[in-house]
Amino acid sequence: MTAAVLDRPALDRPLRAPLSRLLASELRWTLRRPRTVIAIVLLSLVPILIGIGVTIAGRRGGGGGLFATLVGNGFVLPILSLTLLLTMLLPLLGAMSAADALAGEASHGTLRGLLMAPVGRGRLLAVKAFGVATTVFIAVLGIAVVGVITGVVLVGTDGMITLSGNTLSFGDALGRIGLAVLWVTFQVWAVAAIALAVSAFTEHPLVVMAATLAGALVFGVITLIPQLDWMQPYLLTSSWTSVTDVLRDPMPWDGLVNSTLKAACYLAIGLGVAYAKVSSKDG
Amino acid sequence: MNGKQAGLVVGAAGVLAGVVGLGVLALPAGAGPAPVLPQVSAEQLVQSVLTTKTVPALAGTVSATNNLGLPAVPALGGQASKFLTDGTTKAQVWTDGKGKGRVSLPGATSEETMVFDGTTLWDWTSQNNTVHKSTDTPEQKAHPDKPGSGEMATDPAAAAKQIIALIDKDSTVKVDGTATVAGRPAYELVLAPKPTEKTLLREVRIAIDSETKIPLQLSVLANGNAQPVAQIGFSTLQIAPQDPALFTFTPPAGANVVTGEDKKVADKAPDQLKNAAKPQIVGSGWDTVLVEKLPAGTLGGDRSATTKGGENFDPSKLLGQLGKRVSGPWGSGYEISTAVGTALVLDDGRIAVGAVPEQALITALASVK
Repeated sequence: MTAAVLDRPALDRPLRAPLSRLLASELRWTLRRPRTVIAIVLLSLVPILIGIGVTIAGRRGGGGGLFATLVGNGFVLPILSLTLLLTMLLPLLGAMSAADALAGEASHGTLRGLLMAPVGRGRLLAVKAFGVATTVFIAVLGIAVVGVITGVVLVGTDGMITLSGNTLSFGDALGRIGLAVLWVTFQVWAVAAIALAVSAFTEHPLVVMAATLAGALVFGVITLIPQLDWMQPYLLTSSWTSVTDVLRDPMPWDGLVNSTLKAACYLAIGLGVAYAKVSSKDG
Repeated sequence: MNGKQAGLVVGAAGVLAGVVGLGVLALPAGAGPAPVLPQVSAEQLVQSVLTTKTVPALAGTVSATNNLGLPAVPALGGQASKFLTDGTTKAQVWTDGKGKGRVSLPGATSEETMVFDGTTLWDWTSQNNTVHKSTDTPEQKAHPDKPGSGEMATDPAAAAKQIIALIDKDSTVKVDGTATVAGRPAYELVLAPKPTEKTLLREVRIAIDSETKIPLQLSVLANGNAQPVAQIGFSTLQIAPQDPALFTFTPPAGANVVTGEDKKVADKAPDQLKNAAKPQIVGSGWDTVLVEKLPAGTLGGDRSATTKGGENFDPSKLLGQLGKRVSGPWGSGYEISTAVGTALVLDDGRIAVGAVPEQALITALASVK
């Protein structure tokens, strides 16, 4: 670091800030926003809410699907919470931070400064995308950690009973939850990449949020129409149920891998559009 | 300016890659070119299937696709309606080749797993946290069609000849090229009705693995439809030794373990139908029609059946959902028509079922009188 400072030439070539410093600064900038912190904290409270609710209702029985599996099986709680939040609230978080990343800066007039700065456009987009991605990852990780703790406190640490009826050890269960965290994070990144593309085109953060949520809703509606089921393989949301595969043993990989590849395609499309727009923007 | 254009090109390349990727992912697994296999006659193929008595250790996904055209029946609910309505049902199967096996039927947020560990059959349903345990040997039940000591010749070559001769009366049997099923080269055995048969079916295709000689896929094709109306077969298959841990089952903590419940339910059903007359068979081959007379009142509202879930439903209401009301000089009742067959359920308790058009059923009903 010191050597770098000493070696710095006297402005005869453009200054290049080290990437790590740019990333750290973006992260500080993102995580210091009260709305980001509030959103992450509120999302992390969801597992507690579900855990308490199911513990109280569980004595009476009832409930269906994963809720039924949750009774007496605490390690399902983080997975269940992620499944529920993935349908709407996690994409909302991704859209919100993507909206702040470019459209928000544009609406404050600060994007102009960033575009003028001696930072490549690709680098600018990469740093912004990094900020969004980290926010999403922190939120997903937070939900999972709170979910595991709530599950252990409310139910105990006997291990995870899979949907297939066998019991996984503590370590295996944590491995499955870790996999779910990575998978969910990647799916939300795909949504956020599309939101980032919209964000590059507008200076109104609200437009980004509205467009992303409308997209998620339209995808959900298409999934329900039998005549449009040929579109299902193209929809990001249609494979979101495959996260429950981590609760099966032996675990089927095909659904998880296929949905991850699909998310990668959406990621490429979103970042491609965003890059094309950001790099052709006038400074 | 140059930088802008470069940015657009890079961005467009990213978008293109994403779109192409989505297209590739959405493509159904291609059938690929037909594998080249040594020529074999239908007789030889049937014989080699009969000589193969054991199924090797394998793991695979079985997909059942149904395009029968039956309307959805909400009254049935659960698994039954899932299998009856159009769509694809998948199951995972494992066997160690020595009689132990495992089947799991995944639901969106649940799973039913059946494990046979050599002595005990475990049936686990995640939805209600219940394990059914029975110590019957399902092996004998599972293969009632296994060539026994009866009329069937014990010599596979002779048995193959008998089977082919029996089928040959009403149908043509041939080996129609090869196909790749679940990534394995297979022979396609095709059974087609002779032109004189009054059936709705066009042909039945059975794909037989060229190496292990186990059937990989069964497709039923009907007239006027290029796609199979019903198909069951492996969509993935690995023939390899399996982890022995797959064939053991320990009920998880807190699960309800029910012993032998299934058997009682199964025994109860025949009691109800014991006083029903034996079905009569009219015709032979593909246009066989089954005619049966149920005791009067079975289908009326006075005797309501109980579904697995415990709620009562009226059979005639169910018939109304499934079929349409028809009447003629032969009587009146409901006609249930699917792509592969037709059923007539008359108000007086007579039932006729066959893979034939409605007219053939009516003729059969008249001949029984």
